[in-house]
Amino acid sequence: MTTLRLVWTFFRIGVMGEAQYRVNFAIQVLQSLLGLVTALAGLAVVFTYTDRLGGWGPNEVAALVGVYILVGGVIGVVIQPSMQEFIESVREGTLDFALTKPVEAQLLVSIQDVDIWELLNVLLGLGVLGVALGRLGENVGFAQAAAFGVMLLAGTAIVYAFWLILATLSFWFLRIENILVIFQSVYEAGRWPVTIYPGWLRFGLTLIVPVAFAVTVPAEALTGRLDWPTALAAIGLAALLLVVSRVVWRVGLRRYSGASA
Amino acid sequence: MTPPAIHTQDLTKIYTVSEREAGMRAAVQSLVRRRTEEVRAVDGISFDLAPGEVVGFLGPNGAGKTTTLKMLSGLLHPSAGALSVLGHTPWKREKDFLRRITLVMGQRNQLVWDIPAADSFELNRAIYRLPAGDFKRTVDELTELLDLGPLLKKPVRNLSLGERMKCEIAAALLHRPQVVFLDEPTIGLDVTMQRRIRAFFAGYNQRFGATILLTSHYMNDVEALCRRVIVIHEGRLLFDGDLASLVQRFTSHKTVVVQLEICPDNLDAYGEVVSCEDGLATLRVPKAETPRVTARLLADLPVIDLTVEDPPIEEVIERVFANSFPEAEKP
Amino acid sequence: MMALAQLYQAQFRISLATMIQYRASLVIWLLGQVLEPVIYLIVWSNVSAAGGGSVGGYTTGDFAAYFIVLMVVNHLTYTWIMWEYEYRVREGTLSAALLRPVHPIHADVAENLSSKVVSTPGILLTALVLSLIFRPTLHLVPWAAVAFLPAVALAFVLRFLVEWSLAQAAFWTTRVTSLNQLFFVAMLFLSGQMAPLTLFPPAVQTAAALLPFRWVISFPVELLLGNLTPQETITGFAAQAGWIVLSLVLLRVVWRAGVRVYSAVSG
Repeated sequence: MTTLRLVWTFFRIGVMGEAQYRVNFAIQVLQSLLGLVTALAGLAVVFTYTDRLGGWGPNEVAALVGVYILVGGVIGVVIQPSMQEFIESVREGTLDFALTKPVEAQLLVSIQDVDIWELLNVLLGLGVLGVALGRLGENVGFAQAAAFGVMLLAGTAIVYAFWLILATLSFWFLRIENILVIFQSVYEAGRWPVTIYPGWLRFGLTLIVPVAFAVTVPAEALTGRLDWPTALAAIGLAALLLVVSRVVWRVGLRRYSGASA
Repeated sequence: MTPPAIHTQDLTKIYTVSEREAGMRAAVQSLVRRRTEEVRAVDGISFDLAPGEVVGFLGPNGAGKTTTLKMLSGLLHPSAGALSVLGHTPWKREKDFLRRITLVMGQRNQLVWDIPAADSFELNRAIYRLPAGDFKRTVDELTELLDLGPLLKKPVRNLSLGERMKCEIAAALLHRPQVVFLDEPTIGLDVTMQRRIRAFFAGYNQRFGATILLTSHYMNDVEALCRRVIVIHEGRLLFDGDLASLVQRFTSHKTVVVQLEICPDNLDAYGEVVSCEDGLATLRVPKAETPRVTARLLADLPVIDLTVEDPPIEEVIERVFANSFPEAEKP
Repeated sequence: MMALAQLYQAQFRISLATMIQYRASLVIWLLGQVLEPVIYLIVWSNVSAAGGGSVGGYTTGDFAAYFIVLMVVNHLTYTWIMWEYEYRVREGTLSAALLRPVHPIHADVAENLSSKVVSTPGILLTALVLSLIFRPTLHLVPWAAVAFLPAVALAFVLRFLVEWSLAQAAFWTTRVTSLNQLFFVAMLFLSGQMAPLTLFPPAVQTAAALLPFRWVISFPVELLLGNLTPQETITGFAAQAGWIVLSLVLLRVVWRAGVRVYSAVSG
């Protein structure tokens, strides 16, 4: 219960912090739209010269773009800002405040910063997704929607665990403030169906930087391409990575409290 | 006999640091080979604090004060030695332990930047699970004691440094901790604010009986607030007692201030002349010689007024540290 | 002159030391620079393969060559000055640049060039590795290959001047992030980073040529790939020169105005 209360409190703080900046709304909408335009325009250029990319048609790729933006928003709402804040707090020494609170430090650190504007991307992504699915003539039944929901959850959990592991590395390496950029750069690859990439890169995008599970797999659930092995792999990997990231976190924390001044 | 609130025995903390010299060559070399060195940040410190004591940790930068404080608050694992705070082992970071302590760090904020302090307080309320009634009462008390009034409604980024610090302190005390760790709390603040904050903690200790442990390199913090002083230098405990004894033990000189009509030429025959202006002379005299010098001054010169003082505490502390390096002593 | 030379030397030493210290950061940053062209390379290779081996005049091998060369040219002409200014505004260190006796652009140029001395070998190595993986087809034309070098140099100068001038927007607004984003999106489409410009509709191509975008990245790439006639090359150089002059003027205007604004605000 405290967990939920804390999540809600941090969310409220995120809203309060931004609500006073009215200009921000217009700017944030602009930024979200720019992201959308970039993705869709790229799509448009590519599909002038072909009608299939990696086996996916234009509306399917559009749906993928929708999921890409949606998941980007989900990650950007709390995972990304919190992890960035965490890395900085290690450097600034303000992590010590979190560590002297009677709340699980991993929880505090993971929800401490909320960027409410990213919800715009969630909405935008859902919009694009809706339009694309409409044009595909896909009737998204309950089963598909549920599968999508579960894959989205699994994908988000995988991304969270990945970010946490990356961010925890700052306990060992102080000078990697841009380590999270790794994910953001590689995430760009998620805009396109993972089938276009050569095998070795596909492997990397699945198991090393889990972009495929974050974007392509949920999109597959909606476009009827999802198969059971993939779905089970997603859930399995999510569970595994959550455990691994927890272990890495605890090891990192032990190191931090053994070796800092 | 009540058990101590804080107990340490031979507390030690050792770090391995990588060493590197300046220059291009060394930079490239360090890519291949790393030289490490062992640093004893804290070297066998032992002390006990009774509940409700206010203690100052004094020492130059890098002496080991903050490291000690971090071990006591559970942030660092000691390399050796025993320690317990309120009966808990700090580094185990048990929830019950964390609920009863608090940490305030100078120039480091836990308040959320963009929102009013009052809203950050709500966050702490959620974290410490404070019941509404108690919470309101505590906030009102702290608002009164710290004179927070209108500050709570303003976004933290709009507050001055001193105002921010007051709000930080309030936020840290919302859960009525039994042990308060203060790490350089007045650093960077102007003199008036420093005084206000010291006065606040003195009052807080009197009213609520919290044990307060303060680290500082400002003598004034310790002087104003702490009856007991622990001097730490190079990781070792140099002195543990009250301030008066500290001055007593480590001063070898006294300051003699004489008011005369004009400054005579032969003043240096009586002792080291620190200054002389408009007849007001300040002399530095070895402690043992003070009675004799004073007598001579009164006999030889037309003295209007004469006082014998202890040297400023800063000098005392410098002397305490300089004890480790006799060659660094001033002539 | 002497002072400038010394400045550059000192900056070089600092950059080298910083690079070594922040080597992990450097690798991560380079990763970002490599991934984008590689992703587009793969996308267009797929399109080309689906289109029977070539599309819009580019074979799969041509696409590989295009994007690998693009990656190198992008790196050589790259500046991060707009991010830097954003950072300086946030940290309040803009005034430090204003207090220097030398025009602050020199320190920025020095930093840029000296960092590249360290990072360029990395990019070239990556280009080599990518060539082994993606098998580019390169039709090298000797005179074009030679002309490539001044083209890249001019491209760098132009890009730096343009981005530096735009970075001065930091004097007027703290909302530079949005302005930067607009610029980078334009760059993505109009400088050839997303696809060779010839694949875009004519309107887009014209816009890219009239604006400096084509000349900061695409032009040197097209040149090295042997896609330009001598006539087009000369026009290209003229366009670069013209835009450099224009940006120098812009820079002057913006800088002066910016300093006035800043002094008025912060006093």
